[in-house]
This record gives sequence, structure tokens and C-alpha cells, in this order.
Amino acid sequence: MKWRRRNQELDEEIQAHLAMAVQDRISRGEGPAEAERNARRELGNETLIKEITREMWGWTAVERLQQDLRYAFRQMRRNSGFTAMAILSLALGLGAVTAMFSIVNGVLLEPLAFHDPARLYVARTIPPPEAHLTGDFPVNARQFHEWRAHCQACQSVSLIQMDDLTLVGAGEPVKLPALRVSSNFFATLGVRPAIGRDFLPAEESGLGQVILTDTLWRSRFAADPGILGRDIQLNGEPHTVIGVLPHHLALPRGDQWGGYFGPADEPLIFEPLGFHSEGQKPAGSLNYTSVIRLKPGISPAPATAELNSLLADFVRQYHITTRIALFPLLQQVTRRARSALWLLLGAVAAVLLIVCVNVGNLMLVRTAGRYREAGVRLALGAGRTRLFGQVLKEALVLVAIGGSLGLVLSYAGLRAFTAAAPIDLPRLEEVQMDWRVLLFAFAATTFSTVACGLAPAWRLSRIQPLDSLKAVSSGHTEAGRKLRLREMLVSLEVALSAVLLTAASLLLVSFLRLTHVEKGFGTAHVITQDVSFLSPKYAHGGRNQVIRLMMDRLRQIPGASAAGATSRLPMRGEDWVSELRDSEAPTEDNAIANFRFVMPDYWRAMEIPLQQGRFFNDGDWGRPVAIVSSRAARHLWPNENPIGRHVQGIGPGQPALEIVGVVGEVPAGPLDQSWPMMVYEPYGLISPVAMSFTVRTLGDPAALIRSMRAVLSSIDPEMALPTARTMNEILDASMATRRFEMRLILAFALIALLLAALGIYGVVSFAVARRTPEIGIRVAMGARPGQVLSMILRQGLRPVLFGLAVGLATALFAGRLLASELYEIGPNDPLPLFAVAAALLLTAFAACWAPARRATRVDPLRALRFE
Amino acid sequence: MKRVELIQGTLDMLILQTLRWGAQHGYGITQAIRSGSCDVLQVETGSLYPALHRLERQRWVKAEWRQSENNQRAKYYSLTPAGRKYLAAEQERWNTVSTAIASLMRARETEA
Repeated sequence: MKWRRRNQELDEEIQAHLAMAVQDRISRGEGPAEAERNARRELGNETLIKEITREMWGWTAVERLQQDLRYAFRQMRRNSGFTAMAILSLALGLGAVTAMFSIVNGVLLEPLAFHDPARLYVARTIPPPEAHLTGDFPVNARQFHEWRAHCQACQSVSLIQMDDLTLVGAGEPVKLPALRVSSNFFATLGVRPAIGRDFLPAEESGLGQVILTDTLWRSRFAADPGILGRDIQLNGEPHTVIGVLPHHLALPRGDQWGGYFGPADEPLIFEPLGFHSEGQKPAGSLNYTSVIRLKPGISPAPATAELNSLLADFVRQYHITTRIALFPLLQQVTRRARSALWLLLGAVAAVLLIVCVNVGNLMLVRTAGRYREAGVRLALGAGRTRLFGQVLKEALVLVAIGGSLGLVLSYAGLRAFTAAAPIDLPRLEEVQMDWRVLLFAFAATTFSTVACGLAPAWRLSRIQPLDSLKAVSSGHTEAGRKLRLREMLVSLEVALSAVLLTAASLLLVSFLRLTHVEKGFGTAHVITQDVSFLSPKYAHGGRNQVIRLMMDRLRQIPGASAAGATSRLPMRGEDWVSELRDSEAPTEDNAIANFRFVMPDYWRAMEIPLQQGRFFNDGDWGRPVAIVSSRAARHLWPNENPIGRHVQGIGPGQPALEIVGVVGEVPAGPLDQSWPMMVYEPYGLISPVAMSFTVRTLGDPAALIRSMRAVLSSIDPEMALPTARTMNEILDASMATRRFEMRLILAFALIALLLAALGIYGVVSFAVARRTPEIGIRVAMGARPGQVLSMILRQGLRPVLFGLAVGLATALFAGRLLASELYEIGPNDPLPLFAVAAALLLTAFAACWAPARRATRVDPLRALRFE
Repeated sequence: MKRVELIQGTLDMLILQTLRWGAQHGYGITQAIRSGSCDVLQVETGSLYPALHRLERQRWVKAEWRQSENNQRAKYYSLTPAGRKYLAAEQERWNTVSTAIASLMRARETEA
């Protein structure tokens, strides 16, 4: 180090001077000892000389920084306990906030990896307010056709639908998540196949061409470059591979496109739509997602207006009350995660702030021991800015070490988060630590430095030299301002903790209420197996035969107490959505219901209760009968017997269905969102290709799963069988995001509470230590321990109460931000607020107790001897 | 013998003047000033080294470590071209000022 070398040289220079002076004196005849003595006297005060000489060097900013940093390090070594705690808590705080930010960055901020992604939108159907439907819905194929043909604001309008394709040959049959796409879909995204070509417009109606993803090409076809033009067997029909998409193309998963059904996984294979869009019905089913690229410079508002105006004729003709809205594609893809991720980032930031306040408060306590030193330095002419800067640099050293450690921790935290996150958190595989994360980490570090160091730096640089020298070390002379600053910081900590705890308890209550909600179906003993009857041998009634055969065989499995099937399991999302209409008394304005196609014992297997009438039996196969959920029955025929009435079946040209029974409600989607009215039709009236078998067992689910899969494979060895799940697992998965979010927030809130307790403890302990002489006097004057105790507790709890009041008021105000995450509890529900207040007060009381007890044991004699 | 403290501001000039005859170390400069002034001028070590280090920083002298005649390693200072120029200017200023002061003092003497 330059500074050290210069010091050494100066030392050597002075020593040489001395040696030469001694030499001279000896040669003039003085004795060695005498010469040494005289030379030293002549030289004068060596330390002072060096000191003054050093001042001539002139400090560059860098050297001054070095000096201050060295000073800071010395201070840190002197308080190793404090240093370790500060660095550790800062590392955890900064690490957590950086990790969380990199997730927010990767998922919500990073643009999608498509060409000019800001121009990509998804068109969605918005139901009219009187329909009492939450959310928005896909569009139909005819709408897409009008838009693609006429939209002036759009550069490209595409259409997709989620699908499965079962690949047979080259290993076990496998069900591939697929997308049916309009021929311009990849062009809309700005993606071109890496090898081969895109779909041609003429191929849109489905001539058997497919495009593979790179992943599928590598995993299933060994990256064979000769794949182009090869025929592969999909759903039992030959298809020609015409292209392979680029490596590392991150396409949103099926469910993130906003479709109703189809696999939730990332699509692996693409086929054309398979129909002529102009032939589709104007009021057709809302089964498709339309991805639109706007022309450059066009904002979504006029584009939305144009999309709606292009449908004006249909709206008039079919009395359509919905309208179309555009959502940015990124928002559509990440919509389920947005509020949760921002909430988590906010929570982590609050924890970091508490960490900083704590470290700042501890530094404040520590600098209190340096008031005299600061006073002396100021009296000797040190600048206040220099003192101020020095404390900030001490904070900087702590934060920088903590921050670098935190960066390492954040990397680990990120991996842990990604591993633990529920799968419906989108784009997690795209999360990386990029320049934006580093910039954020830098900003967070700078902020933390200021947050930690500002209070102590300000305090120390405001010292009045005279006062600090007069007030030797007794507490009572400096009770005023300093304590109030410390108390304010405690209040801030408590307020932040209160907000976090309130948020956490609201989410916790929501989660608990959700887990205890009456689900309407059995969970533990119900096993489900998805199947698809896709191969050509199942066309034209083929699947009706095979599903009956399978059903019969499944019922005979030992241990199976009931077996059924449905076109869509509860909690898997809405599907087959259509108007609920009393076919004998049709009206214009109809509610919306979900339709399901089921095999007779479905409700028994699912433990859905029968409320009126009867279940389907084997004789109902393909007959125009229906079972409705109780709410649908009440909606159509309030206070009347629904049995024997008729409801309109789904789909054009379908007959009116006679109601034979009424069953309980089940959720179609997440428990907290969609409990639509249900109409069940017997399988065979319409025969969906994708079905889920449901088998109830009283024994071991694993054993039953094995025999069930064996039975199904024995009937059709080519049928792909995705992993079987119990309803419990499906239920769990549906709550995974909420559980994950709730747990994280709860953990952050508890950390905040712990940190606040530490902060309170530190401040009260310090106050007691400072006031020991004063307490001694009080005890000597006859104060009883109880009085001392209550004095300290009062003093300690005062800032807590203040902070609690501020925190709860903030929580009341900010609770609204949380409203979308809550279930069956208002953001201003008094219960969590009371609980939080009680928890915080108890914690604060506990934190004050030990120092307060210490105060009661003050020995007046010893305490006064300090004076 | 009576030794005199240096007049404020002249130490730099004296040091530079001493170095005109070649490189010298701090102790040598003290001795040179003392003997050159017939033991009248005394340079305090506490003034010398700060002055040397300041001159070095202003690049009027440069320093290097060398062995002295007594085989003592010492830091030798020598004039830089800039220092030489500065010395010339200082010398002229000094001459002007000292002549002026001398004539002023003489005038005072005659008046008295």
C-alpha cells in the first residue's frame, strides 16, 4: 500500500537524519551516549515532525477514503459481536431482496423473448357486468377471422388453441402438449423455425403438417437433422414434420395463454388450426386465444376500438353483450403471479428496511460511546462533514461486506425459490441475475448504507464539542434528543413489522378459511386418470365403445368402491361454457353454466352428494337427460321442483334435456374463484375425446393406481397415460401458489417481528445502562423495584405504541392492495389487526422485560461510584 | 553564539539555494544552511521535513534514496528545472524586498 510505504520512508528519512547527527557529534568528540542524547534533543519531537510532514503530502480523495475505511475496520474489529450481527442481518436482508427482485425482474419486467414484444397483445372477451362473471375469457374463431381479414391497426392477428397429441412409435406412447395455431402464429411472434419452414396459409385447415420444438426434436428424435419430411404417428394418423423451432425458445405454457382447457405444460409440438376460419359461427364457443401484433406506433386503445367495431354486425345480430379488450401478452402470461410477486418484493424490502434501521440504531448506540472522541476531534478542527462521512463509511463497510455476502446468498436463495415455487409461477426458468439485478443490488446497497448510517452520522456530526466534553459519561445529561431519535427508529421498525404482520395474518386467515371451505367433493380416496381418445380408431363411436369397456373393467378392480368419468375434473378450470337456458321458457338474458359429460358413477366416486332425484344409470347412455347443480336448479326454478323440467343442452342442434337429479356444488377452478353453475350430461350425447376417470378406493391409492393403469393399458397399449393423481393432489396444486405466498410472507413477517424485538431490546438495554447512575439515585432515594420496572417499561413501550398505531393505520390503508389475494376476509377485518397488535405488544413487552429487570437490580452504591 | 529563527517564507528559498550545488539529504541541508550562514541561521527539523515534502509535492525538488559518504542510506533531494526557475524568481523577489527593507530601515535610522 502506497500510504504505508510512504510512512516507512519518512521514518527511515528521520532515522537517517538522526544517525548522521549522532555520527557528526561523535566525530566532533562527544561520547556515543551523549551524542545520541543531544542529537535527539536537537531533533525535537519525532512523532510531531512526522505528523506535520505527513500533512504536507496532501490527501487525495482516495487516500482519505482509505484512511476512513481503515478507521472503520478498526471500529468493526473492536465490536466484533455487533459487526457479525450487522453483517449477517444485512447479508440476509440484501440477499433476500436481491433474490426477490431477480424473480420480479425475470418474470414481470424482462420482456418476452420475441421480436419487439411490446407490440404483442392478447384479445380477450369481457363479460357484461350483469353476467356477474369475474375475469375475462378467450375469443372465438370467427372473431379472429374478421380481425385478420380487416383490422387496420393490427400487423398480424393469429389464433391458437391448446391441445394434446399422442405420439406413438419410437418408445412408449406419449401425450404431447400441443398448440393448434393459425398459419401466421409464428410470424406474429417473430419466430422462425431453425430448420425447415413455417406453416403455409393453405395448410391452416390441417393437411397433416407439424412443427416440433427443439426440446422434442432432441429428446424424442435424437436431434436427427433428417427429420424434415419424415412421417410421425400422432393420434394414430401420419403427420409430416416440416420444421423445428430454435433452441432456447421460451414459449409460454398452455395455461398461460389464457385458454380454458388443454395441457398446462409448455407446448412441444404445433399443428395447424384444422378448419377454415371464415366458416366458423359468429356466436361460436370462446375456445381460442388470439395473439395480435399491432402495427408500430399504434396504441392499444384505438386497436381495441377497431376490434370491437369489426364485430358490430355480430353484436347486433346475436344480441352479444360482451366486448373485446386487449391485454399485453406479457401481462397475460404473468397475470397469476403479478400481485403475489410484487407483494413478496414489498415484504422483503420492508424486512431489509427493518434490518437497516436495526443496524443504524445499534450504530447509534455505539457512536454514543464516541461522543467525547468526536468532540475532541471537532475541537481540534476536524470538519463536521468529515465526521459525517466517516460514520457513513463505517456503514458502507458493513453494508458492502453484507451486500457481497448477500449476493452469494441471493444466488442460493434464488435457486431455493425456483425449486420450491409452485409450477404455475410463469417464466421461472427465464429468471437470471442480469445487469438489472446487479444494478438493483447496487442501488439497494447504497440505499442500505444511507439508511444504516444516516441517523448515527447525523447525530455524531451534530455534537457540540463543549457539551460532549462536559458530559463525562453520566446518562441524565443527555436524555433528550438522542433517545428520541433512537425511539423514532424503534417506532419505524414496529410500524413496518405491524404492516407485514397484518398482511401475513390476512393471507393466513384466507388460506385457513380456504382449506376449511366445504369443497363439495371427496379428496383423499379419489384417484383420477386423464385419458384421450384421439386415435382414428376412436372416431365415429369408437370411443363410446372403449370407454364403456374401460369403465366396466375399472369397476371390477378389487378395492375400487366406485368408478366414473368426467370430461373435466373439478378445479381443473372452466370448460364447455354456455348459456343456462330453460328450454320450455327461453329468455334473452341467460346466465352462464359449465357443462360436463360424465359416466354414471361419477358422483359416487367423487362423493358429490345427491340432493334431489337420482344419479344417472347405465340406461341413460346417450339419452337427453341432465343433472344440474343445486344453484343452477334454484336459478332456473326458484322454489319449484326442478325434476322433470327441461334445460337446453350445450352445442347447436342439441336436444332439450330432462332434469333427473340435483347434485351439490363443486368448484370448476380454484376454490376461491370459480363455482359456476353446472349441467351434467350423460357421455354419449356428446363424446369428448379428453376424459378423466375417477375411482374411489378405501385401500392404498398407490396399489389401485397400478392396477388401474394396468387395466387401461391392457385395453389399449397405445394410449398415453399421464401421471395419475388423487383429488387431494389436485386440490393441493390448486392452492400451491397461495400457500407458497402465504408461507413466504409469514416467514418475512416473523423475521420482521424478531428484528423489531432485537431493536427494542437493544435500545432499552442501552437506556438502562446509560441511566444506571440515575436509577441508583432513585433507588437510594427510596424508589421501589416495581416503580423502577414500570418506569423502564413505560419508556421502552412508548415508541412501540406509537409505531403500532402508525403501522396499523398504514395496514388499514394499504390493505386494499391485498384485496385480490384475500378470501372471505376484508382487508380491514378487525381480527388480524387485534391479533397483530397483541403479538407486537407481547413481543415488545418481552423485549423490554430483561433490561427492565436489570434496572431493578441496580445497586445504588455501585451505580453512584461511576459518577 | 546567538542563533536566529528563519524569517517566515524564506526557508523554501534557502533549501533550494542549498540544493543548487548538488543533491543533498535533509541533515546535509541543515548543516549547509548553518555553516553557510556562519552558524547564525538554524533550521528546525520540524520545519525542514514538512518543507522538503511540500517542495517535492510541488515538483520543485525531486528525491531519491542513495548511500551517503558515510555509507548511510539517505534520501537525497535535488533541484528540478522548475525548482531552478522558481529559485531564480524567488531570489529576484528577495533581492527587491531586502533592498527595499534595507533602504527603509536606513531611512528610519537617519530620521532617528
